[in-house]
Amino acid sequence: MKEILRITIGLTVSCLIAALIMGTVLTFTERAKEENERRDVQNTMLALLGYSGSRPAPADLELMPVYRYIVDKKGVKYLGYMIPVKKDGKTGCTLLLIDLSGKMKSRHDLELTPDEATEASARDAAMTSVLKPPTVFTYADSFIIAMLGGKRQAYLIPGEFPGFKTFIKVMLALDPTFTIKGLDIMEQEEDPGLGGEIIQEYFKNQFIDKPYKKVKNLKVVKKPLPVEYRRYLEKSKWKKGMFSPEQIAEIRHKYEDADIYALTGATISSRSVTTGIRNMVKKFAYRTQILDHVIARQKIPAAF
Amino acid sequence: MVSTKTPSQLVLNGLLNENPIFRLALSMCPAVGISTTVMNGLMLGIAVLFVQVFSSCTIALIKDYIHPRIRIPTYTLTIATWVTVIDLVLSAYAPVAYKAMGIFIKLIVAFAIITMRLEVFACKNSVNKSFWDGIGMGLGFMFGMVALGFVRELLGMGTLLGYDVLGFRPLLFFALPLAGFFCVGFMMAAFNYIEIVFNRMKKKTG
Repeated sequence: MKEILRITIGLTVSCLIAALIMGTVLTFTERAKEENERRDVQNTMLALLGYSGSRPAPADLELMPVYRYIVDKKGVKYLGYMIPVKKDGKTGCTLLLIDLSGKMKSRHDLELTPDEATEASARDAAMTSVLKPPTVFTYADSFIIAMLGGKRQAYLIPGEFPGFKTFIKVMLALDPTFTIKGLDIMEQEEDPGLGGEIIQEYFKNQFIDKPYKKVKNLKVVKKPLPVEYRRYLEKSKWKKGMFSPEQIAEIRHKYEDADIYALTGATISSRSVTTGIRNMVKKFAYRTQILDHVIARQKIPAAF
Repeated sequence: MVSTKTPSQLVLNGLLNENPIFRLALSMCPAVGISTTVMNGLMLGIAVLFVQVFSSCTIALIKDYIHPRIRIPTYTLTIATWVTVIDLVLSAYAPVAYKAMGIFIKLIVAFAIITMRLEVFACKNSVNKSFWDGIGMGLGFMFGMVALGFVRELLGMGTLLGYDVLGFRPLLFFALPLAGFFCVGFMMAAFNYIEIVFNRMKKKTG
């Protein structure tokens, strides 16, 4: 009995010490970690828009986030879009409730600046103050509209879909006509050397410049990747004068309607990425058209 | 059984005589699963080296206070704590390194080699000796992983450290997990053969 007690106490004490150490380290590192993640996402977004260290983003580039919520009002479901609006020369936030048939239900101005809206808790508080209980809402997702000189330059959509092993996190850049302009695989744990090749340029760049018409029924084909296409896709290995502007336009046009060439030995990973991106773009285009329609009809002074 | 070896002997012991992969045949799952490229092997090796050294020192330091009945849970707890601490610190202050090593570090908690080294060595020896043993074992593991990664990356993908050296893919088979077992087997045989030849030569000259 004494032995059991000693063992129990010993184990409890070691667990407590371990928990104490881990907890202390966590509190010290959490802020820095969040900051890193935020900067990481920011850099990815700028890179997708074509800005990097050697080509910094212009000063009039604005990134405007739109947050999407599912709102449940007494058993009836609405979509809630929190969008930035122009009001007396300042940018504020407004919440649009749109029913499932695409008609606007109501509009609520929020006591929230776009900077504050990046914090989930601030958004929740502002929404609770206008949508009084028993209305419940849940956060669905968000996307970002990049504005350059007062015009829409691109949409940035973060997304996640199942891969062969775990979920694959991506960030997509679409131009205003929903043509894919950039794709970055942010997190994946596919098999190294097989499905892990989805991060390689010769795979992920195949999606770039595919028009919306094609993306809607994009498939994977098990055919070898043509050599000239591969050389064209591996943009980081381009040497000066390797492709003339005419050649680039020609290759781009030639493969615009091509399906995605599967990775050797990783058809499942290739398929999941293709299906995931197809669904992301389709859903996004559908939702954005409805949102734009509502904004235009109700003459909402949206900031984008 | 207190070890009487000097630091250099301990490091050499980990690299050759008791190489974790080719001699002790421990931690085979990660060795087979991750060693598809040189970079993967190197990253996992570095991660194991750090966790092994820190855990060995911790256990050597507190060995007199551990109840013998609960030593294995204590080892696992120690390893888990160090893994978490390294994971958190790297993610906060070295995001670039974390991006490359993040998934490997989380894998380490279940590595047999570390628990085994704590059980066999660290709980019987001084902190100083355990430190050098940890270095030796970590380097030995890294050496094994890099050697495996070298063969598998070259033969499976025709590249080395991501650079295209062959210009084509000789045998995709080597990138698949199954080939890991073959590679480990053949390299173990080569390791043994070299040792036999070495011992024979030593006998002749000495």
